[in-house]
Amino acid sequence: MLDERELAISPIVQSSVQHNAQTISNIRNLTASLFGVAAGTLGLESYPGFIFYLAASLLVSVLIFAFRAEGKASEYFHSPLGDLWLGEVFSGMSGFVLTWTLFYGLVRA
Amino acid sequence: MTLISTSLNSLGLVLLTHAVYSAHEHSLLPTTATLPLDITIELLTAVLLLCIGIVLASPDLKPINWSVWGGKLSREEHKAAVKAGDVTERDPYVQLDIRRGFLDIRGKRQEFADWDIMTGLPSYRTGY
Repeated sequence: MLDERELAISPIVQSSVQHNAQTISNIRNLTASLFGVAAGTLGLESYPGFIFYLAASLLVSVLIFAFRAEGKASEYFHSPLGDLWLGEVFSGMSGFVLTWTLFYGLVRA
Repeated sequence: MTLISTSLNSLGLVLLTHAVYSAHEHSLLPTTATLPLDITIELLTAVLLLCIGIVLASPDLKPINWSVWGGKLSREEHKAAVKAGDVTERDPYVQLDIRRGFLDIRGKRQEFADWDIMTGLPSYRTGY
């Protein structure tokens, strides 16, 4: 698939790759903060909070797959698994923990 | 699509604010019961609505394959022309579609010869 000849026959548009990565990154950052609000308000602690985040991120991936990529992930992403399904999940986790602890403290203190 | 995403986001934000406020009020009660089910459901509904709204509000993805991308741009050329200013997003095959024709060199030469005779100026050909 990532053969050099394959790339020569069907070249990849670099600006589109960047645009897609930027879009995914924006969605992930926004939704990660949102999940932090939910997890903090629900009063989740320790592992359940992280499991909630991973499950909600999977939901967002499915939404992107259905609404933005229209079911054709390989048309918009170089490697659909790494860029769409797992893309930016772990970099959004810091924002999640930030709002999680904030809202846990605000609501339950 | 913008209307749908905006209304989903607004509704989700209202529900989220209400749910968080209710949870806060509930935490002030002397009972130490867990969060009531209706607040939990409201919160999760708000999160779901906001997720859908955020995804729908995000800009469209662009195809990474050059041929798919170029073909899409070619088909939407008139739309892209209206939305001017985005220089990088032009049809990459426009220079193949709009080309000058071949130069009619004999016609040009004849034109020049006629003009040359008509003006009657002493030209480089007087020696012949």
